[in-house]
Amino acid sequence: MRGFSLAWRSVIRKPVKSILLFVTVFTISLLLLAGMSSGKATVQMQDNTRQAVGAGLLLEENEADRHRRIDELSRQLDHKEGSLGGYHQEKITINGVENWRTWTDNSFETLLVEDIEKIAGTEGIADYNITTVTTAARPVGFIRIEDEDVDQYSDLGGVSLVGNKDMSMDSNFLSGNAFIMDGRMIKEGEKDVCVISAELADKNQLEIGSRISFGNCRDKEDPMIYEAEVVGIYRVNQPIAPYMYGDTYRSENIIFTDLDFPEKVDGKAGDPLYEKAYFKIADVDEYEAVKISVMGVDIAWERYDLIDNNGNMNTLSANFNEMEKYSRTLVWVISGAGLIILFLIFQFWMKSRNREIGIMLSMGTSKIRILAQIMAEALMIAAVAVLVSFLAAPGVSGLTADYLVEQQVQSAGEQDLLDEGKVALSYEKSEQNVVGVQAEITSGMLIQDVSGIALLIVISVCVSGIGILKRNPKDILQDL
Amino acid sequence: MILEAKNIEYVYKSQKDRKVLGDISVRFEEKKFYAIIGASGAGKTTLLSLLAGLDSPTGGTVLYEGEDILAKGLNYHRKNHVSLVFQEYNLIDYLTTEENVRLGGTDKPGELLTKVNIPQEAWKRNVMKLSGGQQQRVAIARALASNAKVLLADEPTGNLDEQTAEGIIELLRQTAHELGKCVIVVTHSKYLANEADEIVQITNGIIDS
Repeated sequence: MRGFSLAWRSVIRKPVKSILLFVTVFTISLLLLAGMSSGKATVQMQDNTRQAVGAGLLLEENEADRHRRIDELSRQLDHKEGSLGGYHQEKITINGVENWRTWTDNSFETLLVEDIEKIAGTEGIADYNITTVTTAARPVGFIRIEDEDVDQYSDLGGVSLVGNKDMSMDSNFLSGNAFIMDGRMIKEGEKDVCVISAELADKNQLEIGSRISFGNCRDKEDPMIYEAEVVGIYRVNQPIAPYMYGDTYRSENIIFTDLDFPEKVDGKAGDPLYEKAYFKIADVDEYEAVKISVMGVDIAWERYDLIDNNGNMNTLSANFNEMEKYSRTLVWVISGAGLIILFLIFQFWMKSRNREIGIMLSMGTSKIRILAQIMAEALMIAAVAVLVSFLAAPGVSGLTADYLVEQQVQSAGEQDLLDEGKVALSYEKSEQNVVGVQAEITSGMLIQDVSGIALLIVISVCVSGIGILKRNPKDILQDL
Repeated sequence: MILEAKNIEYVYKSQKDRKVLGDISVRFEEKKFYAIIGASGAGKTTLLSLLAGLDSPTGGTVLYEGEDILAKGLNYHRKNHVSLVFQEYNLIDYLTTEENVRLGGTDKPGELLTKVNIPQEAWKRNVMKLSGGQQQRVAIARALASNAKVLLADEPTGNLDEQTAEGIIELLRQTAHELGKCVIVVTHSKYLANEADEIVQITNGIIDS
């Protein structure tokens, strides 16, 4: 009688030990899958202050990932002065006290053009636009609009430049809030051209064809002057929301330019800072399908927020507070606990099968073959348990992810209450609500689960089998 | 001569080097029924274990057909040269009568079960549902299934009533005389010893001459 058929008979005819192992492996497998899927879950958020206009999708940088990248680069620099991946840190001494000065450059902050182009290549995307960050520029030879009642001491004294790849897809024009009053919009590929506000044109008697100049706003000593031709004059229904406080960023002082102009004026030619990308969907009826296709594009999504026309965005658990960390911890704890429990179960198996092992040894069966039979039994039961856990996993994973998200939201809420009035944030926190959690079981997770369970079983059977391998048959038979 | 213990010694290292067997030499031949007798603790079962290759002697050698059983390994010896029958029957509890005999290495368990007088209706039953005497017969059938030339039995009638024991002894005797095997039985039973062709008496780890 071969080992496999013996193993099969043992599994079927000794149901108590089989059921014990089945339940244990089922539970471990289910929890592992739940942990893994929670770690890769997508949390659907809604942010009413950020939404793509019309039938389009908006791509922005994810704030949580930005902070995490900074932490990671800082850790890699290991408390030393230096630069890495667009992040810089240096030691400075103020009043005899050592401090760290840290900053990031455009290469760290910008949306990556290759990622934008990958998304733009998705079927169903008709066109796309890239918008630069609002860049302060020093007006040369013209006067900006100022509030006479406000002390301008702390203001940069500049105007704002906003570059677009295709100005017609800038959110202000797309929404209809801004419109061309005179002249035209900037066309894709044009260089050194701008569209100014009607107020600025009036104040400086500027008209279509006029040329205006800008200098570096932060470095007033920089002699470089950049000139742009006015090709259009716009007006707004409602003032454009300022990027920051101060007259530099007030609506009338916003000047739309070609895509490359702001970086030149800022002294960073060739080192752009793209803040947003807008993707126009060809067929409105296909909006959801195209959105799903875009989400499937192979880019590092943890770096971005993809926002639809309702302000919905899918946030990876990696960017959702500590969710990924908790999920990873959950997987490790389950693996550790699983190994201990399985080891104890196999110890029980070995002990309760001492007689059988002794008989097999007395008949000349090798110890390795006996262990292989026990391993085969365990793997047979585990295979069924894992298969059943695959069926139950989607439901349990959803519940686990929901629970973890709920815990995260609750603890974040409690933290916000504690921090109220104490912590100064470098950015304005937008109001975001969780509207759903999607925990998916992927084939990769199934493979990891199967390999993980198989590894746990092999380790625990081998460790439990040491007792058999070390003893001689006479001693085992004497125990009977 | 099929099996020989040559100057074997056995010392329990875990029990302050207690000597269980001291310089024992004994030879066994085919077609003969041997009984190893002696008081409890005399070393009978230890001698049987060494002959069976369940353990190695601390001194001396066990030879099978003139070759040291360590040469091919104890596993090989147990698998091919000897078969064992125990006082506790030692059958696999989740297998049927037939399957237990198959474990010995035969594809025709029915023939052997018929030979040891197990009724056909019991062949497909779980072996644990048989009586003690029947279980011991199944154990002997399993031992015969292996085609090994030596059958070693440790107190095979120890758990059986007198009438059943007589049947088992007859079966062992037939195994030696009719099937031509070398049957070596460790026993306390005087009746069984009287049925043996040769008796090996052990006292305090030494064979009485």
